[in-house]
Amino acid sequence: MILDLQRFQAQERPCWTKLESLLVQLEGRPDRRIKPAETELLQELYAQTAADLNRVTHGALAPELRRYLERLVARAYAELYYASPTRSELWQPRRWMNIFRSFPEAFRRQSQYFALAVTVTILGCALGGFAVRYDPASVNVLLPADYLRNPGLRVRQEENGQGRHLDSAQIEAAFSAQLITHNIEVSLLAAALGVTFGIGTALLLFENGLLLGAVAVRYTQQGFGLFMTAWLLPHGAFEIPSILIAGQAGFYLARLLLRRREDRNMRESMREWLLLIAGLAMLLVWAGLMEAFFSQHHAPVLPYGFKVAVGLAELALLTIYLLLIGRRDPRAEALTSGLAGNQ
Amino acid sequence: MKDLQPKGLPATAAELAVATPEGVIFRLPLAGPAPRLYAMLLDTAIVLSAVNGLGYLVYWIFAKVPGLGAMTITLAEFAIGFAYGALLEGFWNGQTIGKRLFHLRVIDQSGLPLRIEQAWVRNLMRVFDALPFAYLVGGISVLSSPIMQRFGDRVAGTLVVRETPLAAPTEEAWNNQKYNSFTMYPALTMRLRGAATPELAGFIQDALRRRNELAPYARREIYRDLVAYLQTEITTFPDELVEMLSDEQYLTNAADVLFGNHARREFTVGTRR
Repeated sequence: MILDLQRFQAQERPCWTKLESLLVQLEGRPDRRIKPAETELLQELYAQTAADLNRVTHGALAPELRRYLERLVARAYAELYYASPTRSELWQPRRWMNIFRSFPEAFRRQSQYFALAVTVTILGCALGGFAVRYDPASVNVLLPADYLRNPGLRVRQEENGQGRHLDSAQIEAAFSAQLITHNIEVSLLAAALGVTFGIGTALLLFENGLLLGAVAVRYTQQGFGLFMTAWLLPHGAFEIPSILIAGQAGFYLARLLLRRREDRNMRESMREWLLLIAGLAMLLVWAGLMEAFFSQHHAPVLPYGFKVAVGLAELALLTIYLLLIGRRDPRAEALTSGLAGNQ
Repeated sequence: MKDLQPKGLPATAAELAVATPEGVIFRLPLAGPAPRLYAMLLDTAIVLSAVNGLGYLVYWIFAKVPGLGAMTITLAEFAIGFAYGALLEGFWNGQTIGKRLFHLRVIDQSGLPLRIEQAWVRNLMRVFDALPFAYLVGGISVLSSPIMQRFGDRVAGTLVVRETPLAAPTEEAWNNQKYNSFTMYPALTMRLRGAATPELAGFIQDALRRRNELAPYARREIYRDLVAYLQTEITTFPDELVEMLSDEQYLTNAADVLFGNHARREFTVGTRR
């Protein structure tokens, strides 16, 4: 069928104009909600314009008109088929307040990926520890920084206050911000590396474990185990679990991408991934503050026993938070699911 | 990564075709790396200016506690860097200031508006796309993807489209003339219609549409050359007719033969109503 383009345009133009003005009106609304009467009108105009597009596509050589109608149909389609955000959407302010509860819930739901992250890190730790213990030559490769290679020197400097560059609360505050941003960036990278099907995430965790294992064995070998624990634990109690949670998010993403497209619930999965990132960012803010304001002070200012006790208390609180917060009573849950099943 | 591309959507290098449940297919022009880079540079400039402005304000407020000021500005810089793109794209229907100025929009790969979580995911994934420097990973990903997605887009299921403003085609001048003297010579008219290539027809159309954009001297030259070309290479209307017509009128008649009412009168089968 060959289309009488002029007559066709003259007949249909009022419909297109009406649709265009309706779209301008709808697109201008920040909440993107449509009233039922508007939906009906939109549906009607959309159907007519879509049919017009089909006619132009198959019946006339009119590229400009086709592009115009395509744009119009695309905009109407977006308005019509886009489900407006509901109350449960992540961006709702109430939801943001719930993040303290939602994060541990997401953590528990995806605990198998956390276990994988822990396993990879422990493997790295074991290799680093064994290498330093049985091959002293590997120290130079694994621990390039001088302060890590020579624990005795480091401990003397720290205890005498020579190595301490943090001589005031002002510098400590600035230092804490640097630590927070750097740690979040590294964790985010570990989580994003899930896109490499988890290989990048695993390598990052393994390298992190390698360094940790090597430092732990090196310091313990030379009798500075307590110093090292008191030095690392107050901030490490939050920092190390955070990088493990980043690994958890990375492996979760990798598993999601390995699934068949039709088996993915992208919306839910993205929310889960974002919850893990938001949670670890919260933990790293605390870790950064502790590292700058607390960890860098040593005996005799802060006794090592006290620092270790603080670190252990933090670890216990974090464990309780991750394992218990938001956990529902199993009996109440069974009752709810039973009621849902009866409906 | 092939697995991450949308299935069932015929895509070309420059467009994404979306099939609606009603069986209509519309195409969305995809944004290439260059306008995306320009938009990103502009957004980066905006973020840096905002952070610097904020920095002066913070240092002034915390003049007596500079450490706290440095802490605030470092954290704010970091947060603004990530939140700028995510919040603007999420709440402003897929556009940042840079994207709006360069007529770009981020959408869901099914053709629908993107959701706030998609905006966050694609912006947080920048840490990977920016590796090892200057968005090399992201750039390679865009160039290797048939629908020009960087890794952040692949994970979030989004893509960037071009959105140049479009208006409904207006009434063409050649449709308004009541009489076309070319129709006195049906054989020559048929020859013109048969021999004119789509490029030549488009050229005549453009020359007439841009009548008012051209300087009078340039317009005269172009019209004269076009008429001479049509007369010598395509079809030769009799001199007594051509002498009576201005070059512009000649081209208007030719456009009417090629696109206007006279082009369709003989072939029109009918329309819906």
